[in-house]
Amino acid sequence: MGMVNPGGIPYFILEFGDELVYFSPYTVSLFILALVFTIFAVIARPERQVDIVFGGDAFYAKETSLAELKIRRFMAIACGFASMGAMVTGDLFNFTLFISLVGICNVGIVAAVKNRHVQNAAYQYGIVALSATVPLFGAAALIAATTGTLSMVELWSNAALAVPLVVKALLVLGVMGEGMAPFYAAKAEMFRAPGAPYVIMCSLSSLLIFLRVIEVVLVI
Amino acid sequence: MIIQRISRIISNYEMIMPIFAGAVTLLFVVAIFSLPLPYYEEQLYPKTYDPTSPLNPYDRGGPPFVQIDIKEQYPENSPTAGYVTSYLTPLSWYMANTTLYLGTTIVGHPGGILDEILYNTRGLDTVVETTILFIAFAIASYLYRKG
Repeated sequence: MGMVNPGGIPYFILEFGDELVYFSPYTVSLFILALVFTIFAVIARPERQVDIVFGGDAFYAKETSLAELKIRRFMAIACGFASMGAMVTGDLFNFTLFISLVGICNVGIVAAVKNRHVQNAAYQYGIVALSATVPLFGAAALIAATTGTLSMVELWSNAALAVPLVVKALLVLGVMGEGMAPFYAAKAEMFRAPGAPYVIMCSLSSLLIFLRVIEVVLVI
Repeated sequence: MIIQRISRIISNYEMIMPIFAGAVTLLFVVAIFSLPLPYYEEQLYPKTYDPTSPLNPYDRGGPPFVQIDIKEQYPENSPTAGYVTSYLTPLSWYMANTTLYLGTTIVGHPGGILDEILYNTRGLDTVVETTILFIAFAIASYLYRKG
């Protein structure tokens, strides 16, 4: 071991061929967070937004139809699984794949909402997620070319393998593009979608992949 | 004041694409200027091209059911790698014997060639890749049916 993993020493390492999945204190805590929230998404029922007419007794209740609920719950669960995978994987290419899965699931969660504003925001976000795959997978390819390996365990235990700074920047920018949702939509657009537990999965998964990419960049 | 202005720009979702495109362009310019990046000679999954083989990019060489040496990161994790370097269905066997370009048909003919490294040592990758496709199809079909 040349360097110390800032996430702590792994408790155990699961081997999928060349792709190691490692559970260090850091990745385990993120994994458990994603797991707990996925369970919430499974068992929770969507919130019902109610708009009250000011100064009167009238109100509008926004119902989430069953078909819409099903697809959004499915996307939220898929997003949870994708974040769980991204939290613990120890392989860089696998990490980028999980990140892009999180990105497309985030679009899917809000794609079912029948609201022009939300759909517009989701479309813009989808384009960003689409174009972010170029720096994301480009970074994975450049890491493979400059170090000859994709295993994070190998990269942190062998001090001779150094990833250039610009490649790390590409990786971070790619993750930003995929998980950008809370950075502009938390204020407004995508979160206007009714159905709370599913929409919050967008935000939580982005938060988690950000926390993970910090560890990845420090490790490699 | 400046933060207020920035947050006003960012909160407009129509602006998020140009901002991201600008950031990508900027970083790509930096990347181009820092270009001669060191190339690590000992690559993990080396590829050799044999233009005379019909399985061209996927040909790992070796007779069937005799283990050949495949370079892996952790050889102890996949001890059976190298036994089945390619698996051909009858149709792909016919195509391999008649044309030189079976290797290019992997997309249109899944299961025609089993790439040893892809499926044996990096199996989780293929699972996640197909999951991405599946999710994309699920979204597209839902939006299509919704009308």
